[in-house]
Amino acid sequence: MVKAVKGILVQCDESIKAIIEKIDKENGNTFILEALDDENLLISSGKINELKARLKSVLTDTVKEHEEPESNSDNNEMR
Amino acid sequence: MSLSSAVLDYLQAQPGVTFKRLYLQPPTVLAVLRRMLPHLAKNIIMAMLFMPEPFLEEDLLTWIRAEARPQRDEAMTVLEQLHILTLVPEPPTPRAYRLNTAFASSLRQALMGGGSTNSFGVPADKDAPGPKRTVEELDKWARKQWEAILYYMVGSAEREYSREGNISSGTRKLLEMGEFIIMRGGRADITKGGFTFLLQEANAQVWTLLIVYLENSESVSSIHTKSKVIENQSKDIEQLQMDPVEMLSFLFMLGSLELGQDYNTESLTKTQFHMLEDLHDFGIVYHPPDARGRFYPTRLATTLTSSDASLLSNPNSSLSMNSGKGSIILETNHRIYTYTSSPLQIAVLALFANLNSCYPNLVSGKLTKKSIQRAVEKGITADQIIDYLRTHAHPQMLKNQPVLPPTVVDQIRLWQIEGDRMEATPGFLLKQFVNANEYRETAQYAENLGVLVWRNDREHMFFVTRIEQLQQYLAKRKTQAPRR
Repeated sequence: MVKAVKGILVQCDESIKAIIEKIDKENGNTFILEALDDENLLISSGKINELKARLKSVLTDTVKEHEEPESNSDNNEMR
Repeated sequence: MSLSSAVLDYLQAQPGVTFKRLYLQPPTVLAVLRRMLPHLAKNIIMAMLFMPEPFLEEDLLTWIRAEARPQRDEAMTVLEQLHILTLVPEPPTPRAYRLNTAFASSLRQALMGGGSTNSFGVPADKDAPGPKRTVEELDKWARKQWEAILYYMVGSAEREYSREGNISSGTRKLLEMGEFIIMRGGRADITKGGFTFLLQEANAQVWTLLIVYLENSESVSSIHTKSKVIENQSKDIEQLQMDPVEMLSFLFMLGSLELGQDYNTESLTKTQFHMLEDLHDFGIVYHPPDARGRFYPTRLATTLTSSDASLLSNPNSSLSMNSGKGSIILETNHRIYTYTSSPLQIAVLALFANLNSCYPNLVSGKLTKKSIQRAVEKGITADQIIDYLRTHAHPQMLKNQPVLPPTVVDQIRLWQIEGDRMEATPGFLLKQFVNANEYRETAQYAENLGVLVWRNDREHMFFVTRIEQLQQYLAKRKTQAPRR
Protein backbone atom coordinates (compact mmCIF):
# COMPACT_ATOMS: atom_id res chain seq x y z
CA MET A 1 0.00 0.00 0.00
CA VAL A 2 1.45 3.33 -1.02
CA LYS A 3 1.92 5.76 1.82
CA ALA A 4 1.94 9.54 1.45
CA VAL A 5 3.60 11.72 4.08
CA LYS A 6 2.86 15.42 4.12
CA GLY A 7 5.91 17.53 4.83
CA ILE A 8 8.52 19.86 3.47
CA LEU A 9 11.37 18.61 1.37
CA VAL A 10 14.56 20.39 2.30
CA GLN A 11 17.39 20.19 -0.18
CA CYS A 12 20.79 21.37 1.01
CA ASP A 13 24.41 20.31 1.00
CA GLU A 14 25.83 17.80 3.44
CA SER A 15 27.33 20.36 5.79
CA ILE A 16 24.00 22.12 6.22
CA LYS A 17 22.27 18.80 6.65
CA ALA A 18 24.65 18.02 9.49
CA ILE A 19 23.75 21.29 11.19
CA ILE A 20 20.03 20.65 10.75
CA GLU A 21 20.46 17.20 12.26
CA LYS A 22 22.28 18.73 15.18
CA ILE A 23 19.49 21.30 15.70
CA ASP A 24 16.96 18.48 15.49
CA LYS A 25 18.81 16.39 18.05
CA GLU A 26 19.12 19.29 20.49
CA ASN A 27 15.40 19.97 20.26
CA GLY A 28 14.02 16.53 20.90
CA ASN A 29 13.82 15.37 17.27
CA THR A 30 10.84 17.53 16.44
CA PHE A 31 12.02 18.87 13.09
CA ILE A 32 13.04 15.96 10.93
CA LEU A 33 10.39 13.48 9.89
CA GLU A 34 12.73 11.45 7.78
CA ALA A 35 16.29 11.69 6.52
CA LEU A 36 16.03 10.76 2.86
CA ASP A 37 19.65 10.76 1.74
CA ASP A 38 22.83 12.82 2.04
CA GLU A 39 21.29 16.00 0.70
CA ASN A 40 17.56 15.65 1.30
CA LEU A 41 15.45 15.75 4.42
CA LEU A 42 11.74 15.64 5.10
CA ILE A 43 10.80 18.31 7.62
CA SER A 44 7.56 18.57 9.50
CA SER A 45 5.26 21.18 7.89
CA GLY A 46 4.81 23.65 10.72
CA LYS A 47 8.44 23.72 11.70
CA ILE A 48 10.18 25.14 8.67
CA ASN A 49 10.29 28.79 9.74
CA GLU A 50 11.66 27.96 13.16
CA LEU A 51 14.27 25.72 11.58
CA LYS A 52 15.30 28.47 9.14
CA ALA A 53 15.69 30.94 11.98
CA ARG A 54 17.77 28.52 14.03
CA LEU A 55 19.93 27.59 11.07
CA LYS A 56 20.52 31.25 10.34
CA SER A 57 21.67 32.01 13.85
CA VAL A 58 24.07 29.07 13.76
CA LEU A 59 25.41 30.20 10.40
CA THR A 60 25.82 33.88 11.22
CA ASP A 61 27.86 32.89 14.25
CA THR A 62 30.26 30.95 12.07
CA VAL A 63 30.27 33.27 9.05
CA LYS A 64 31.22 36.35 11.03
CA GLU A 65 34.38 34.73 12.29
CA HIS A 66 35.45 34.17 8.71
CA GLU A 67 34.67 37.65 7.46
CA GLU A 68 36.61 39.59 10.06
CA PRO A 69 40.10 38.34 9.24
CA GLU A 70 39.37 38.68 5.52
CA SER A 71 38.67 42.40 5.67
CA ASN A 72 41.76 42.88 7.82
CA SER A 73 43.95 41.18 5.27
CA ASP A 74 42.50 43.43 2.56
CA ASN A 75 43.56 46.46 4.49
CA ASN A 76 47.01 45.08 4.98
CA GLU A 77 47.47 44.57 1.30
CA MET A 78 46.47 48.11 0.58
CA ARG A 79 49.03 49.43 2.97
CA MET B 1 -1.09 26.21 -20.39
CA SER B 2 0.30 28.32 -17.58
CA LEU B 3 -1.80 31.13 -19.06
CA SER B 4 -4.00 31.47 -16.07
CA SER B 5 -3.00 28.73 -13.73
CA ALA B 6 -4.39 30.75 -10.85
CA VAL B 7 -7.87 30.65 -12.34
CA LEU B 8 -7.45 26.99 -13.13
CA ASP B 9 -6.38 26.16 -9.59
CA TYR B 10 -9.34 28.05 -8.24
CA LEU B 11 -11.79 26.30 -10.53
CA GLN B 12 -10.34 22.88 -9.85
CA ALA B 13 -11.00 23.34 -6.17
CA GLN B 14 -14.70 23.99 -6.78
CA PRO B 15 -17.35 21.33 -6.19
CA GLY B 16 -19.09 19.69 -9.15
CA VAL B 17 -22.31 21.60 -8.51
CA THR B 18 -20.56 24.90 -9.15
CA PHE B 19 -19.50 23.68 -12.57
CA LYS B 20 -22.98 22.58 -13.43
CA ARG B 21 -24.28 26.10 -12.84
CA LEU B 22 -21.29 27.81 -14.40
CA TYR B 23 -21.58 25.91 -17.63
CA LEU B 24 -25.12 27.13 -18.17
CA GLN B 25 -23.65 30.48 -19.23
CA PRO B 26 -22.33 30.60 -22.80
CA PRO B 27 -19.75 33.35 -22.04
CA THR B 28 -18.27 31.24 -19.26
CA VAL B 29 -17.93 28.23 -21.47
CA LEU B 30 -16.38 30.28 -24.23
CA ALA B 31 -13.93 31.84 -21.80
CA VAL B 32 -12.92 28.47 -20.38
CA LEU B 33 -12.31 27.18 -23.88
CA ARG B 34 -10.35 30.23 -25.00
CA ARG B 35 -8.33 30.89 -21.95
CA MET B 36 -7.85 27.90 -19.75
CA LEU B 37 -7.22 24.82 -21.78
CA PRO B 38 -4.13 23.40 -23.45
CA HIS B 39 -4.41 23.34 -27.24
CA LEU B 40 -4.84 19.60 -27.38
CA ALA B 41 -7.77 19.83 -24.97
CA LYS B 42 -9.38 22.45 -27.21
CA ASN B 43 -9.03 20.11 -30.14
CA ILE B 44 -10.62 17.26 -28.26
CA ILE B 45 -13.57 19.43 -27.26
CA MET B 46 -14.13 20.79 -30.73
CA ALA B 47 -14.01 17.31 -32.19
CA MET B 48 -16.48 15.93 -29.69
CA LEU B 49 -18.81 18.92 -29.67
CA PHE B 50 -21.35 17.54 -32.10
CA MET B 51 -21.08 13.87 -31.21
CA PRO B 52 -24.41 12.46 -30.11
CA GLU B 53 -22.94 9.32 -28.53
CA PRO B 54 -20.19 8.83 -25.95
CA PHE B 55 -16.77 8.56 -27.53
CA LEU B 56 -14.70 5.41 -26.96
CA GLU B 57 -11.40 5.96 -25.20
CA GLU B 58 -9.62 3.68 -27.69
CA ASP B 59 -10.77 5.83 -30.57
CA LEU B 60 -9.68 8.98 -28.79
CA LEU B 61 -6.23 7.51 -28.26
CA THR B 62 -5.80 6.80 -31.96
CA TRP B 63 -6.16 10.52 -32.71
CA ILE B 64 -3.17 11.44 -30.69
CA ARG B 65 0.33 10.46 -31.57
CA ALA B 66 1.99 8.08 -29.17
CA GLU B 67 4.91 10.43 -28.55
CA ALA B 68 2.55 13.16 -27.38
CA ARG B 69 1.56 11.14 -24.36
CA PRO B 70 2.54 13.75 -21.73
CA GLN B 71 0.41 16.36 -23.50
CA ARG B 72 -2.45 13.91 -23.79
CA ASP B 73 -2.32 13.08 -20.09
CA GLU B 74 -2.23 16.76 -19.27
CA ALA B 75 -5.16 17.59 -21.53
CA MET B 76 -7.29 14.73 -20.26
CA THR B 77 -6.55 15.55 -16.62
CA VAL B 78 -7.54 19.19 -17.07
CA LEU B 79 -10.70 18.25 -18.93
CA GLU B 80 -11.72 15.80 -16.24
CA GLN B 81 -10.91 18.16 -13.41
CA LEU B 82 -13.00 20.89 -14.92
CA HIS B 83 -15.81 18.38 -15.33
CA ILE B 84 -15.88 18.99 -19.05
CA LEU B 85 -15.25 15.35 -19.96
CA THR B 86 -16.82 12.62 -17.93
CA LEU B 87 -16.40 8.89 -18.08
CA VAL B 88 -19.63 7.25 -19.04
CA PRO B 89 -20.29 4.89 -16.14
CA GLU B 90 -22.19 2.18 -18.01
CA PRO B 91 -20.92 -0.11 -19.34
CA PRO B 92 -17.53 0.19 -17.59
CA THR B 93 -15.71 -1.43 -20.51
CA PRO B 94 -14.91 -0.30 -23.08
CA ARG B 95 -14.26 3.07 -21.45
CA ALA B 96 -15.94 5.99 -23.14
CA TYR B 97 -16.05 9.74 -22.62
CA ARG B 98 -18.84 12.24 -22.93
CA LEU B 99 -18.79 16.02 -23.01
CA ASN B 100 -20.64 17.65 -20.15
CA THR B 101 -24.09 18.30 -21.62
CA ALA B 102 -24.44 21.80 -20.20
CA PHE B 103 -20.95 22.67 -21.41
CA ALA B 104 -21.62 21.32 -24.89
CA SER B 105 -24.95 23.08 -25.37
CA SER B 106 -23.62 26.39 -24.04
CA LEU B 107 -20.61 26.21 -26.29
CA ARG B 108 -22.77 25.41 -29.30
CA GLN B 109 -24.90 28.40 -28.41
CA ALA B 110 -21.90 30.68 -28.03
CA LEU B 111 -20.45 29.60 -31.36
CA MET B 112 -23.61 29.56 -33.41
CA GLY B 113 -25.72 32.22 -31.74
CA GLY B 114 -29.20 31.89 -30.40
CA GLY B 115 -30.44 31.69 -26.87
CA SER B 116 -30.90 34.65 -24.58
CA THR B 117 -28.81 37.66 -25.49
CA ASN B 118 -28.50 38.86 -21.91
CA SER B 119 -25.65 36.54 -21.26
CA PHE B 120 -23.27 38.62 -23.34
CA GLY B 121 -24.33 41.92 -21.80
CA VAL B 122 -26.97 44.40 -22.83
CA PRO B 123 -25.63 47.56 -24.48
CA ALA B 124 -27.07 50.72 -22.95
CA ASP B 125 -29.59 52.81 -24.79
CA LYS B 126 -27.88 55.14 -27.24
CA ASP B 127 -30.10 58.04 -26.23
CA ALA B 128 -29.53 57.55 -22.53
CA PRO B 129 -28.67 60.83 -20.81
CA GLY B 130 -25.19 61.61 -19.53
CA PRO B 131 -21.85 62.05 -21.29
CA LYS B 132 -20.17 59.15 -23.08
CA ARG B 133 -16.71 57.99 -22.13
CA THR B 134 -14.04 57.48 -24.75
CA VAL B 135 -11.62 54.60 -24.90
CA GLU B 136 -8.78 56.93 -23.88
CA GLU B 137 -10.63 58.01 -20.76
CA LEU B 138 -11.30 54.39 -19.86
CA ASP B 139 -7.68 53.44 -20.41
CA LYS B 140 -6.61 56.31 -18.24
CA TRP B 141 -8.97 55.25 -15.49
CA ALA B 142 -7.88 51.60 -15.62
CA ARG B 143 -4.25 52.52 -15.64
CA LYS B 144 -4.58 54.99 -12.79
CA GLN B 145 -6.44 52.58 -10.54
CA TRP B 146 -4.28 49.60 -11.29
CA GLU B 147 -1.04 51.48 -10.83
CA ALA B 148 -2.33 52.84 -7.57
CA ILE B 149 -2.88 49.29 -6.34
CA LEU B 150 0.58 48.18 -7.43
CA TYR B 151 2.13 51.28 -6.00
CA TYR B 152 0.41 50.77 -2.71
CA MET B 153 1.80 47.25 -2.60
CA VAL B 154 5.33 48.40 -3.14
CA GLY B 155 4.83 50.08 0.16
CA SER B 156 5.87 53.60 -0.59
CA ALA B 157 2.99 55.54 0.83
CA GLU B 158 4.03 58.75 -0.80
CA ARG B 159 1.23 61.25 -0.51
CA GLU B 160 1.83 62.70 -3.92
CA TYR B 161 0.94 59.54 -5.73
CA SER B 162 -1.87 58.34 -3.56
CA ARG B 163 -3.70 61.56 -4.22
CA GLU B 164 -3.78 60.81 -7.92
CA GLY B 165 -5.17 57.30 -7.86
CA ASN B 166 -7.02 56.48 -4.72
CA ILE B 167 -7.71 52.93 -3.74
CA SER B 168 -10.29 52.23 -1.14
CA SER B 169 -9.73 50.66 2.23
CA GLY B 170 -11.63 47.63 0.97
CA THR B 171 -9.07 47.01 -1.74
CA ARG B 172 -6.27 47.46 0.77
CA LYS B 173 -7.88 44.90 3.01
CA LEU B 174 -8.16 42.56 0.06
CA LEU B 175 -4.46 42.87 -0.71
CA GLU B 176 -3.74 42.00 2.88
CA MET B 177 -6.04 38.99 2.79
CA GLY B 178 -4.37 37.79 -0.36
CA GLU B 179 -1.06 37.95 1.52
CA PHE B 180 0.45 40.29 -1.05
CA ILE B 181 1.29 42.67 1.74
CA ILE B 182 1.56 42.52 5.48
CA MET B 183 0.92 45.48 7.69
CA ARG B 184 3.88 46.40 9.83
CA GLY B 185 3.28 49.30 12.11
CA GLY B 186 0.51 50.80 10.00
CA ARG B 187 2.61 50.55 6.85
CA ALA B 188 2.17 48.09 4.05
CA ASP B 189 5.13 45.83 3.43
CA ILE B 190 5.38 43.65 0.34
CA THR B 191 5.65 39.87 0.70
CA LYS B 192 7.02 37.17 -1.54
CA GLY B 193 3.54 36.60 -2.92
CA GLY B 194 3.23 40.31 -3.57
CA PHE B 195 6.48 40.41 -5.46
CA THR B 196 5.50 37.42 -7.54
CA PHE B 197 2.33 39.35 -8.27
CA LEU B 198 4.28 42.42 -9.40
CA LEU B 199 6.42 40.33 -11.71
CA GLN B 200 3.41 38.94 -13.49
CA GLU B 201 2.09 40.30 -16.69
CA ALA B 202 -0.82 42.74 -16.22
CA ASN B 203 -3.47 40.28 -17.29
CA ALA B 204 -2.25 37.60 -14.90
CA GLN B 205 -2.16 40.19 -12.13
CA VAL B 206 -5.79 41.06 -12.68
CA TRP B 207 -6.77 37.42 -12.46
CA THR B 208 -4.69 36.79 -9.39
CA LEU B 209 -6.36 39.66 -7.59
CA LEU B 210 -9.81 38.60 -8.77
CA ILE B 211 -9.24 35.07 -7.47
CA VAL B 212 -8.42 36.48 -4.04
CA TYR B 213 -11.56 38.56 -4.36
CA LEU B 214 -13.62 35.48 -5.23
CA GLU B 215 -12.12 33.37 -2.49
CA ASN B 216 -12.89 35.98 0.10
CA SER B 217 -16.28 36.91 -1.28
CA GLU B 218 -18.16 34.60 1.01
CA SER B 219 -16.48 35.80 4.14
CA VAL B 220 -16.53 39.52 3.48
CA SER B 221 -19.44 39.97 1.07
CA SER B 222 -18.91 43.03 -1.01
CA ILE B 223 -16.00 44.81 0.55
CA HIS B 224 -17.51 48.17 -0.21
CA THR B 225 -21.13 47.66 0.52
CA LYS B 226 -20.22 46.19 3.86
CA SER B 227 -18.56 49.34 5.01
CA LYS B 228 -21.53 51.28 3.72
CA VAL B 229 -23.88 49.12 5.75
CA ILE B 230 -22.03 50.04 8.86
CA GLU B 231 -22.46 53.65 7.87
CA ASN B 232 -26.20 53.47 7.37
CA GLN B 233 -27.45 50.59 9.39
CA SER B 234 -30.81 50.48 7.66
CA LYS B 235 -29.58 48.26 4.83
CA ASP B 236 -30.59 44.67 4.78
CA ILE B 237 -27.58 42.49 5.48
CA GLU B 238 -29.05 39.47 3.80
CA GLN B 239 -28.84 40.89 0.34
CA LEU B 240 -25.05 41.05 0.60
CA GLN B 241 -24.64 37.32 0.15
CA MET B 242 -22.29 37.06 -2.80
CA ASP B 243 -22.72 34.00 -4.93
CA PRO B 244 -19.38 32.84 -6.35
CA VAL B 245 -21.01 31.32 -9.41
CA GLU B 246 -22.67 34.60 -10.33
CA MET B 247 -19.43 36.42 -9.67
CA LEU B 248 -17.47 34.11 -11.93
CA SER B 249 -20.06 34.29 -14.69
CA PHE B 250 -19.91 38.06 -14.51
CA LEU B 251 -16.14 38.11 -14.83
CA PHE B 252 -16.21 35.77 -17.78
CA MET B 253 -18.93 37.87 -19.36
CA LEU B 254 -16.84 41.01 -18.92
CA GLY B 255 -14.18 39.30 -20.97
CA SER B 256 -16.46 39.12 -23.97
CA LEU B 257 -17.68 42.72 -23.85
CA GLU B 258 -16.54 45.47 -26.17
CA LEU B 259 -14.21 48.25 -25.13
CA GLY B 260 -15.73 51.72 -25.37
CA GLN B 261 -19.29 50.45 -25.29
CA ASP B 262 -21.45 51.14 -22.25
CA TYR B 263 -23.67 48.39 -20.89
CA ASN B 264 -26.91 48.38 -19.04
CA THR B 265 -26.79 47.36 -15.40
CA GLU B 266 -30.41 46.18 -15.44
CA SER B 267 -29.60 42.70 -16.66
CA LEU B 268 -27.18 42.17 -13.77
CA THR B 269 -28.09 40.23 -10.68
CA LYS B 270 -27.82 41.80 -7.23
CA THR B 271 -24.49 40.16 -6.57
CA GLN B 272 -23.12 41.39 -9.85
CA PHE B 273 -24.33 44.90 -9.20
CA HIS B 274 -22.45 44.92 -5.90
CA MET B 275 -19.37 43.67 -7.67
CA LEU B 276 -19.43 46.69 -9.97
CA GLU B 277 -18.36 48.89 -7.07
CA ASP B 278 -15.35 46.75 -6.29
CA LEU B 279 -14.40 46.24 -9.91
CA HIS B 280 -14.69 49.99 -10.41
CA ASP B 281 -12.15 50.44 -7.65
CA PHE B 282 -9.77 47.93 -9.28
CA GLY B 283 -10.06 49.82 -12.56
CA ILE B 284 -11.61 46.82 -14.28
CA VAL B 285 -14.88 48.58 -15.06
CA TYR B 286 -15.87 52.21 -15.01
CA HIS B 287 -19.17 52.84 -13.29
CA PRO B 288 -19.90 56.54 -13.86
CA PRO B 289 -20.97 58.28 -10.68
CA ASP B 290 -23.37 60.41 -12.72
CA ALA B 291 -25.02 57.51 -14.55
CA ARG B 292 -25.55 54.57 -12.23
CA GLY B 293 -27.54 52.61 -14.77
CA ARG B 294 -24.57 52.03 -17.02
CA PHE B 295 -21.06 50.68 -16.82
CA TYR B 296 -18.09 50.53 -19.14
CA PRO B 297 -15.66 47.62 -19.24
CA THR B 298 -12.07 48.87 -19.40
CA ARG B 299 -9.21 47.25 -21.23
CA LEU B 300 -8.41 45.27 -18.11
CA ALA B 301 -11.84 43.65 -18.38
CA THR B 302 -12.00 43.03 -22.09
CA THR B 303 -8.65 41.26 -22.10
CA LEU B 304 -9.60 39.03 -19.18
CA THR B 305 -10.31 36.05 -21.34
CA SER B 306 -7.91 36.67 -24.18
CA SER B 307 -4.39 35.35 -24.20
CA ASP B 308 -1.58 37.32 -22.62
CA ALA B 309 0.14 37.95 -25.89
CA SER B 310 -2.69 40.03 -27.29
CA LEU B 311 -2.34 42.60 -24.55
CA LEU B 312 1.39 42.82 -25.09
CA SER B 313 1.24 43.09 -28.84
CA ASN B 314 -1.44 45.73 -28.81
CA PRO B 315 0.37 48.99 -29.47
CA ASN B 316 -2.68 51.03 -28.52
CA SER B 317 -2.75 49.58 -25.06
CA SER B 318 -1.69 52.13 -22.53
CA LEU B 319 -1.56 49.41 -19.93
CA SER B 320 1.81 48.20 -21.02
CA MET B 321 3.34 49.90 -18.03
CA ASN B 322 4.92 46.78 -16.66
CA SER B 323 4.99 44.63 -19.72
CA GLY B 324 6.04 47.04 -22.42
CA LYS B 325 9.48 48.28 -23.36
CA GLY B 326 12.28 47.47 -20.99
CA SER B 327 14.45 50.18 -19.60
CA ILE B 328 16.96 48.54 -17.28
CA ILE B 329 20.67 48.43 -17.97
CA LEU B 330 22.75 46.25 -15.73
CA GLU B 331 26.53 46.42 -15.89
CA THR B 332 29.06 43.81 -14.87
CA ASN B 333 30.15 46.02 -11.98
CA HIS B 334 26.65 45.62 -10.49
CA ARG B 335 25.65 49.15 -11.43
CA ILE B 336 22.11 49.53 -12.61
CA TYR B 337 20.60 52.29 -14.73
CA THR B 338 16.93 52.61 -15.51
CA TYR B 339 15.33 54.99 -17.96
CA THR B 340 12.08 55.65 -16.25
CA SER B 341 10.13 58.31 -14.49
CA SER B 342 7.42 55.99 -13.24
CA PRO B 343 7.31 56.13 -9.45
CA LEU B 344 6.05 52.58 -9.51
CA GLN B 345 9.04 51.17 -11.30
CA ILE B 346 11.43 53.17 -9.14
CA ALA B 347 9.73 51.84 -6.04
CA VAL B 348 10.05 48.27 -7.29
CA LEU B 349 13.74 48.77 -8.03
CA ALA B 350 14.27 50.24 -4.60
CA LEU B 351 13.13 46.92 -3.15
CA PHE B 352 16.32 45.20 -4.17
CA ALA B 353 18.75 47.83 -5.42
CA ASN B 354 20.58 50.61 -3.70
CA LEU B 355 19.46 53.67 -5.65
CA ASN B 356 21.65 56.71 -5.31
CA SER B 357 20.72 59.24 -7.94
CA CYS B 358 17.51 60.19 -9.65
CA TYR B 359 17.24 62.36 -12.77
CA PRO B 360 14.07 63.38 -14.59
CA ASN B 361 14.13 60.29 -16.79
CA LEU B 362 16.83 58.14 -15.24
CA VAL B 363 17.62 56.52 -11.94
CA SER B 364 20.90 54.87 -11.18
CA GLY B 365 22.04 52.67 -8.39
CA LYS B 366 23.89 49.53 -7.51
CA LEU B 367 23.03 45.99 -6.54
CA THR B 368 24.81 45.31 -3.30
CA LYS B 369 24.99 42.36 -0.99
CA LYS B 370 23.03 44.34 1.53
CA SER B 371 20.27 45.41 -0.84
CA ILE B 372 19.81 41.91 -2.23
CA GLN B 373 19.78 40.28 1.18
CA ARG B 374 17.30 42.85 2.40
CA ALA B 375 15.00 41.76 -0.41
CA VAL B 376 15.65 38.08 0.31
CA GLU B 377 14.71 38.68 3.90
CA LYS B 378 11.33 39.97 2.78
CA GLY B 379 10.83 36.70 0.97
CA ILE B 380 11.71 37.86 -2.53
CA THR B 381 13.88 35.24 -4.18
CA ALA B 382 16.99 35.78 -6.25
CA ASP B 383 15.27 34.17 -9.21
CA GLN B 384 12.43 36.65 -8.99
CA ILE B 385 14.88 39.55 -9.02
CA ILE B 386 16.75 38.09 -11.95
CA ASP B 387 13.48 37.49 -13.78
CA TYR B 388 12.44 41.06 -13.18
CA LEU B 389 15.74 42.42 -14.47
CA ARG B 390 15.59 40.18 -17.50
CA THR B 391 12.01 40.97 -18.50
CA HIS B 392 12.61 44.68 -18.08
CA ALA B 393 16.00 44.80 -19.75
CA HIS B 394 16.72 47.68 -22.10
CA PRO B 395 16.57 46.83 -25.83
CA GLN B 396 20.34 47.35 -26.00
CA MET B 397 20.78 44.74 -23.27
CA LEU B 398 18.60 42.32 -25.18
CA LYS B 399 21.22 42.22 -27.94
CA ASN B 400 23.59 40.50 -25.53
CA GLN B 401 23.56 36.76 -25.13
CA PRO B 402 22.83 36.06 -22.32
CA VAL B 403 20.87 39.21 -21.59
CA LEU B 404 22.19 39.84 -18.10
CA PRO B 405 25.90 39.67 -17.24
CA PRO B 406 26.39 36.12 -15.90
CA THR B 407 28.73 37.29 -13.15
CA VAL B 408 26.06 39.53 -11.66
CA VAL B 409 23.39 36.86 -11.96
CA ASP B 410 25.62 34.34 -10.18
CA GLN B 411 26.48 36.88 -7.53
CA ILE B 412 22.81 37.58 -6.81
CA ARG B 413 22.21 33.87 -6.37
CA LEU B 414 25.26 33.50 -4.14
CA TRP B 415 24.12 36.37 -1.96
CA GLN B 416 20.80 34.70 -1.52
CA ILE B 417 22.36 31.35 -0.63
CA GLU B 418 24.50 33.05 1.98
CA GLY B 419 21.40 34.08 3.86
CA ASP B 420 19.45 30.94 3.13
CA ARG B 421 21.36 27.74 2.74
CA MET B 422 18.56 25.35 1.95
CA GLU B 423 15.73 24.98 -0.45
CA ALA B 424 12.39 24.07 1.07
CA THR B 425 9.52 22.64 -0.97
CA PRO B 426 6.21 21.80 0.66
CA GLY B 427 4.50 18.68 -0.60
CA PHE B 428 4.18 14.96 -0.07
CA LEU B 429 6.59 12.06 0.18
CA LEU B 430 5.32 8.87 -1.39
CA LYS B 431 6.82 5.58 -0.32
CA GLN B 432 6.15 1.90 0.33
CA PHE B 433 5.17 0.97 -3.17
CA VAL B 434 4.03 -2.59 -3.64
CA ASN B 435 6.53 -3.38 -6.37
CA ALA B 436 9.12 -1.78 -8.59
CA ASN B 437 6.68 -1.55 -11.45
CA GLU B 438 4.16 0.45 -9.51
CA TYR B 439 6.90 2.76 -8.26
CA ARG B 440 8.39 3.32 -11.67
CA GLU B 441 5.14 4.03 -13.45
CA THR B 442 3.76 6.30 -10.75
CA ALA B 443 6.99 8.26 -10.58
CA GLN B 444 6.96 8.55 -14.36
CA TYR B 445 3.40 9.84 -14.23
CA ALA B 446 4.34 12.40 -11.58
CA GLU B 447 7.27 13.51 -13.70
CA ASN B 448 5.03 13.97 -16.73
CA LEU B 449 2.69 16.08 -14.65
CA GLY B 450 5.61 18.21 -13.59
CA VAL B 451 5.01 17.76 -9.86
CA LEU B 452 8.01 15.52 -9.14
CA VAL B 453 10.75 17.26 -7.19
CA TRP B 454 12.99 14.47 -6.00
CA ARG B 455 13.21 10.72 -6.40
CA ASN B 456 15.25 7.93 -4.97
CA ASP B 457 15.09 4.90 -7.22
CA ARG B 458 16.93 2.65 -4.79
CA GLU B 459 14.61 3.28 -1.87
CA HIS B 460 11.51 3.57 -4.07
CA MET B 461 10.41 6.93 -2.75
CA PHE B 462 9.69 10.23 -4.42
CA PHE B 463 8.51 13.69 -3.46
CA VAL B 464 5.78 15.67 -5.21
CA THR B 465 4.41 19.16 -4.80
CA ARG B 466 0.80 18.17 -5.42
CA ILE B 467 -0.94 14.93 -4.71
CA GLU B 468 -4.54 15.18 -6.00
CA GLN B 469 -3.87 13.89 -9.49
CA LEU B 470 -1.61 11.14 -8.21
CA GLN B 471 -4.31 9.95 -5.86
CA GLN B 472 -6.67 9.69 -8.78
CA TYR B 473 -4.04 7.89 -10.77
CA LEU B 474 -3.34 5.40 -8.01
CA ALA B 475 -7.05 4.77 -7.47
CA LYS B 476 -7.47 4.19 -11.19
CA ARG B 477 -4.57 1.78 -11.17
CA LYS B 478 -6.18 -0.18 -8.41
CA THR B 479 -9.41 -0.62 -10.34
CA GLN B 480 -7.51 -1.65 -13.43
CA ALA B 481 -5.22 -4.04 -11.64
CA PRO B 482 -7.51 -7.11 -11.69
CA ARG B 483 -7.62 -6.98 -15.46
CA ARG B 484 -3.91 -7.50 -15.73
